[in-house]
Amino acid sequence: MFIESRELLMKHKIPVVKTERYWKGLEEGKVYKTVCKNCGEEYYPPIAECLCGGEVEWVEIEGEGVVEAFTTVHTIPAGFEWYGKPYTIAIARFGNVRVMGWAENVKVGDRLRLKTGKDKTGVWKVYFEVV
Amino acid sequence: MRVGIIGVGCSKFGRRDDVTIQELSYEAVKEALDDAGLSRNDVDISVVGSVNTRGYELMPAVPVNEYCGFAGKGPIRVEAACATGAAAVYTAYTSIASKMADVAIAIGVEKMTEVDTATSLAIGGRGGNYLWEFHQYGTTFPAYYAMHASAHMAKYGTTEEQLAKVAVKAHRNAAKNPKAHFRKEISVEDVLNSRYITYPLKLYDCSPISDGSSAAILASEEKIRELGIDDVVWIESVGYASDTSNMTRRESFVGLKATVLAREMAYRRAGIEGPIKEFDIATVHDCFTIAEIMAYEDLGFCRKGEGGRLIESGETDLGGKIPVNTFGGLKAKGHPLAATGVAMVYEIVKQLRGEARELQVDLKNYRGLLHNVGGTGHFAYVMVLRR
Ligand SMILES: [Zn+2]
Repeated sequence: MFIESRELLMKHKIPVVKTERYWKGLEEGKVYKTVCKNCGEEYYPPIAECLCGGEVEWVEIEGEGVVEAFTTVHTIPAGFEWYGKPYTIAIARFGNVRVMGWAENVKVGDRLRLKTGKDKTGVWKVYFEVV
Repeated sequence: MRVGIIGVGCSKFGRRDDVTIQELSYEAVKEALDDAGLSRNDVDISVVGSVNTRGYELMPAVPVNEYCGFAGKGPIRVEAACATGAAAVYTAYTSIASKMADVAIAIGVEKMTEVDTATSLAIGGRGGNYLWEFHQYGTTFPAYYAMHASAHMAKYGTTEEQLAKVAVKAHRNAAKNPKAHFRKEISVEDVLNSRYITYPLKLYDCSPISDGSSAAILASEEKIRELGIDDVVWIESVGYASDTSNMTRRESFVGLKATVLAREMAYRRAGIEGPIKEFDIATVHDCFTIAEIMAYEDLGFCRKGEGGRLIESGETDLGGKIPVNTFGGLKAKGHPLAATGVAMVYEIVKQLRGEARELQVDLKNYRGLLHNVGGTGHFAYVMVLRR
């Protein structure tokens, strides 16, 4: 015998004040990392404060990256049913940083370029294009 | 100050529609108390390890603690994703080593089947860094390990057949473990023919979504003498480490750095130089088949890239040089997150005492190795146990 629990829905408001440049950048087709002017550390995902205390600058990630890992998700989690088919997630290296994005028909070692786009749910993200 | 394990318990793993989280906990606690020959009043402090982001009881420590008869003693609630069990044991260990308690119980419990699979995947997929991963890209927990599998296969030529052999071994052992979630042997073909969950991992490469509980009672050497207990499994050393929440901040995807760091700490403290020769049994974190292959390498059973060949050699089977996951592993025994690490203690204690029946390993060193990972190498614990 079961008793059904009361429904609990959670939808959060996530503050992106410190990384606003990144999210705005996606809408302009740009993907930013941050680079510390003091120690040279590069951050992706970008963070607005370096652990060394130095000031960071926002630098666009450009050029070609190389796929280091990928997977195609067939069993879809709640929140992604809208996509309606399997999707491929890849991690590619662009110089000193690694970037996650959606891709199609990739394998490890492939060379990629970055672009950005808005999905059906209004979320902006990185899409990779095989070179 | 030496700390010993004097009692262990473990529930039947699987879909447990018959119990709530607290009722499930008590199955393991009761067995552990009986095993130690203690009453609940002998326990000074309880540590309740539970992730329970899938259960209706979001703050389960107090209900669990009350039901098990420890109201008034603790509880300390511990969460370290899939390494919660080892983290709970570590917390119990430190409370004794610091002389804040003489007897402590570590309880690991998880109810995972109260929500549907899609919801479970969406929760597991949050086990990284939500905004930068799940929110944008729909990472699932299997997907994180699948990415590692793709990297390992590309770099070292590891094959889907080799991954399948990990699952076959796990099911073969679990078939003889009455507490395991899966009790059926499978073949390499069964694994290869199963559907993709997240390429390159297929259904049989993945541990199931399980309910389960486990418990371990730890005591100080002084207290153990006072109680007149002479058959003790000692915690010889513990290593712990962690890594970045973001996968994109990792240096490589062919292994888990946290495992390597935790292993170095644990081996150094126990003076382990050749793990294959020095351990009679190892429990490694095989939530997915690729995880066991990487664990072989990161724990020093073989060189990096040779894990696939090690599973093929049969040396990690029962009767091999270093039997691994003799009770069926996470893969087939089941993986109720927080219960897993404490169930590894249960397995090693049963093996070192010679109480593992059909699954008994040969005892030469009376030493066992425990390796419990949280998330995708977000946490790692390595422990050396010795009877
Ligand atoms: Zn800096």
